[in-house]
Amino acid sequence: MKKSLFLIPILFCATACTTNPNGTKMKISEEETKLEVYNRAMFNFNYQVDKMVLKPVAKGYKAITTQGIRNRVTNFFNNLEEPAYAINNLLQGEVSDSGKSLVRFGINSTLGLLGTFDVASGWGLEKKKNSFDATMALYCTPDGPFIVMPIIGPSTPRYLIGWGVDAMADPLYWTLWDKQDEDWGVGVSYGATALKYINKRAESIALLDSLEEGSVDFYATIKTAFLQNRQKFQSLCAKKNNETEQQVSYDFDFDDEDE
Amino acid sequence: MKKIITLIFAFACMFSYKAMAIDSQKAEDFVKKVTTQGIEQIINSDVSAEEKDARFEKLFNEYLDLDYIGKFVLGRYWKTAKTTQRDAFIKVYREFNIKTWSKRFDEFKGKSFDFHGTAPSNSEGQIFVNTTVDMGEGAPAKVVWRVKDGDQLKIVDIIIENVSLAITARNEYTAYIKKAPNGLDDLIKDLKEKSK
Repeated sequence: MKKSLFLIPILFCATACTTNPNGTKMKISEEETKLEVYNRAMFNFNYQVDKMVLKPVAKGYKAITTQGIRNRVTNFFNNLEEPAYAINNLLQGEVSDSGKSLVRFGINSTLGLLGTFDVASGWGLEKKKNSFDATMALYCTPDGPFIVMPIIGPSTPRYLIGWGVDAMADPLYWTLWDKQDEDWGVGVSYGATALKYINKRAESIALLDSLEEGSVDFYATIKTAFLQNRQKFQSLCAKKNNETEQQVSYDFDFDDEDE
Repeated sequence: MKKIITLIFAFACMFSYKAMAIDSQKAEDFVKKVTTQGIEQIINSDVSAEEKDARFEKLFNEYLDLDYIGKFVLGRYWKTAKTTQRDAFIKVYREFNIKTWSKRFDEFKGKSFDFHGTAPSNSEGQIFVNTTVDMGEGAPAKVVWRVKDGDQLKIVDIIIENVSLAITARNEYTAYIKKAPNGLDDLIKDLKEKSK
């Protein structure tokens, strides 16, 4: 039974997942081995870029900013994601949540000083986070294989499409859409993107350092953590079709074979 | 005669069911005890780092079934390992976890866990205890404790935001052993180095 539960994400993974998140492995085809070799190489490349550039910059940024400032920056960029939450909540039939996301965006963009303060949460309007990745999962779109992208890092095809579509709902993207011919427009666009990811990296320094310290194969740790975290989407399709909800299983199966 | 056999069978089933079942309230109280002790007596306490590590080691040995977890995380390599390798692995795995987790648990300083009941497990004599912890920013973090009943209750896995620590370790270690020239021996050596 447990093995059949594990098969569902595996089938969604089309051909190339070598490890499912629950610790079992499937027979590895030549293509899967090639993809794994590519993923490890790209992971090492990203790791070096992070070590040489992103992490030192994030450390510098952390040194010259306070936690309060970083929280304001995080809130600012989180607020820009609210329209994407509203659209995806609507696409998933969560009309009330969609409305809440829009109201939150309105309140936080104005009274919350461009989203730097989350005033709406204080008024009982909790964040209703959602994504196009989840919307696609709800409509039973397969996730595809695990793939490490240059700079972006661990992903799957569905994750990447979702990420791209959500980025297009960013108000900053639309504000700067017709300013791409002007130097300041390009500057603001690149500057905002850089600040967003430097701030994110700065906030994850301790977590990633501790994960690496406690790891003997950092790639394998990141891969399995990423895939396990995506299991939350696993039950959405079955739920929509009123089928028995596919629960994520964390039970140990000592009989599972790795190959 | 048939009725007697049926009755005996029914009783046997009842008793074996009782033996397998785990009391959800007992499991929740157990996790409450562990988190309270961990946070109040170790993380929040004003004692030296050495004393904190010693208290953490005691907590770890008392409430975590590292023999069981160690066996699981080696996957199929446990079956083929020699007794000496198994013993060496469990010993170093215990030391390594105590070292890394005494640092990681500092993240829970000043925090407290909210309990949200239990969920059944497919494994015999085990149960999941659902908790959340407010980390200050955003939605509270989901932390699920997998509890196993034996001679006494023990924690066998912690699932933080959908990521199981035991399953993560299993995938990592089996991937490592597969690549390493000396397999499990290299893993033991590497973990020993990291535990220093």
